[in-house]
Amino acid sequence: MLEISQSLLHGFSLALSPLYLYYALIGAILGTIVGVLPGLGPLGAMAILLSFTLKLDATGAMILFAGIYYGAMYGGSTTSILLNIPGEAASVVTCIDGYQMAQKGRAGAALTVSAVGSFIAGTISILGLMGVALFLADIALRFGPPEFFAIGVCGLALLVRLSEGSPLQAVIMILLGMALATVGVDFLTGIERFTFGIQELGQGIDFLPVAMGIFGIAEVLTTVEQKEFIRPAQKVKLRELLPTRQEWKRSFPPMFRGSFLGFIIGLVPGPSPVIATFVSYITEKRLSPTPEDFGKGAIEGVAGPESANNAAVGGAYVPLFALGIPFTPAMAIVLGTLMLHGLTPGPNLIQTKPDLFWTVIASMYIGNFMLLVLNLPLVNVFVAILKVPQNILLPVIVLICLIGVYTVNSSSLDLLMLAVFGFVGYALRGVGFQAAPLILAMVIGPMLETSLRQSMNITGGNLSGMILRPICLAMYILVSLTFLLPLVRKCIRRSPNKFQSPDKQGGNSAP
Amino acid sequence: MEIHASRNQKITGFILFGFSLFYFFSSLRLKLGTFKNPGPGLIPVAIGGFLLLCTGIYLIRVLRLKPPGEGNLAPSRRGPKNYPAIFGILGCTLAYPFLLEYGKFILSTFAIAYLMLAFLKPSRTLFPFFLALGMAVGSFLVFSRFLGVALPSGFLEDFLFRIGG
Repeated sequence: MLEISQSLLHGFSLALSPLYLYYALIGAILGTIVGVLPGLGPLGAMAILLSFTLKLDATGAMILFAGIYYGAMYGGSTTSILLNIPGEAASVVTCIDGYQMAQKGRAGAALTVSAVGSFIAGTISILGLMGVALFLADIALRFGPPEFFAIGVCGLALLVRLSEGSPLQAVIMILLGMALATVGVDFLTGIERFTFGIQELGQGIDFLPVAMGIFGIAEVLTTVEQKEFIRPAQKVKLRELLPTRQEWKRSFPPMFRGSFLGFIIGLVPGPSPVIATFVSYITEKRLSPTPEDFGKGAIEGVAGPESANNAAVGGAYVPLFALGIPFTPAMAIVLGTLMLHGLTPGPNLIQTKPDLFWTVIASMYIGNFMLLVLNLPLVNVFVAILKVPQNILLPVIVLICLIGVYTVNSSSLDLLMLAVFGFVGYALRGVGFQAAPLILAMVIGPMLETSLRQSMNITGGNLSGMILRPICLAMYILVSLTFLLPLVRKCIRRSPNKFQSPDKQGGNSAP
Repeated sequence: MEIHASRNQKITGFILFGFSLFYFFSSLRLKLGTFKNPGPGLIPVAIGGFLLLCTGIYLIRVLRLKPPGEGNLAPSRRGPKNYPAIFGILGCTLAYPFLLEYGKFILSTFAIAYLMLAFLKPSRTLFPFFLALGMAVGSFLVFSRFLGVALPSGFLEDFLFRIGG
């Protein structure tokens, strides 16, 4: 315990340096702007800024991205409450009661409760992240390649189950991502794979143009085709921001419940902040003595989900720091950033780079505080960003993507990849495919291949030796249950109809 | 709109299946090795095999899709699509690496910024022209001077760099 507090204090001493404070502030502001703007989510923003983080050190890059991720969750609620437009997916639920509160003249109270709830959730999830990540990393040090392969497979399988759209489409995207990851020189034998004589492909397909294309350019193209009409937002005066005593009393329990729920859901692969908000909303409605108020401006419907989405962000960092495996697309980009900085993520990271871990943790506290202080007084400024015409904003985003990709390797091939994957991302989205599993698989792919081949070497090609290890077995049972349970439930639902008595089956039954 | 969604799904299905075939047969050329000592081709063959199977199922599914109005279709998007803008922006991103080689940074950035502005909102005023010029010069100053990035330079860039101090 003493060691943890000393490490955290050391982290604070580093995070409070002017440079890291500046990165945290920039991240928080950028994140809020991204959260406010409909269409451009934290994922897109992180992908667009990926190339620029190469100019920073790894800690600086991580602080910037953490600020963006948290900031987006804060910013997303602003437009949900004031305009009924969710800035990003995790703020959709806030629209239901947040906008109704604004219609009743309680916009200020909704914004304050949302910001305070986000701050409390952020703090709780950071505490959880510290505890769980350290504990898990300690255990993971004893893991071998078969365990890492099993965890990777389990993560991808859960992602398939929890992704939007059909599981088949998610599996195709995962396999495509893994196929892309196999391009380049094989790390064990030095043999070129799928390079087709193109020398630049020997290093593999760069993660950066793929991520920026599939999220940045594809996002722009999707926005171009959707002409959103933005209604004028109401102005919020500073003195209107304070909720009443009754509103505070009703908000605190949902804030804490949302924080715990969000953190736990954040540990699960998939779009955890989005799932967390829905689960929190349903929980609050069930627990409320007046569930009929939900949908008509219940403050619990704002406090719970807004806390849950922020807490899920902290939870999502746990598998990344403890195992080096990203369970969400945003964490895949963070992992990609670490790799671009020459770091090998994994359970050793906390031990080998303690400064990075503790400084990022400390900067998360600071970033959360900055967001709380900045967001409420500047709420009208952030809403004004929505007035920037899209026909100006979109070319600027495309230019940032193009120049950003070019600055890394000065490579024309990277620019072509950006354009190609921009189109691929846009086209696949149009027919209901999600880009996130592809990126996640592209990042996890090499790790999975390495651990599988190492496992096969270790066990002499004996599959049972790879499966019948306690952790591996638990993981594979979990994977099987993930796919079998929905099938069993389907069968159970069907069976009562099958054995229903004829008189219950309707009028067509025989007399 | 729904007919388009179904047609697009079929096209996507064929492209994905074609890619899977190509990837699978390309991976067969690599050494597979043994289970004890896997070669560089083992994992790609496995990925290719699964990909072929999944894209095959997907293709069959979309080919058997019911006609519009009977469900099973991707949700239609709101309003008509702005195809000139979509393909204009895509064309600009594709053309940028080639333009960069001949036109150097400022000229090529100005050209694609101007084209994108024109595709998104055609205007007869000089506003897009000056806005694109501002974007090109501004991005050059930010990236080259403040971030120290080496960008393709010609006489315009050298001139700007010199007057910029």
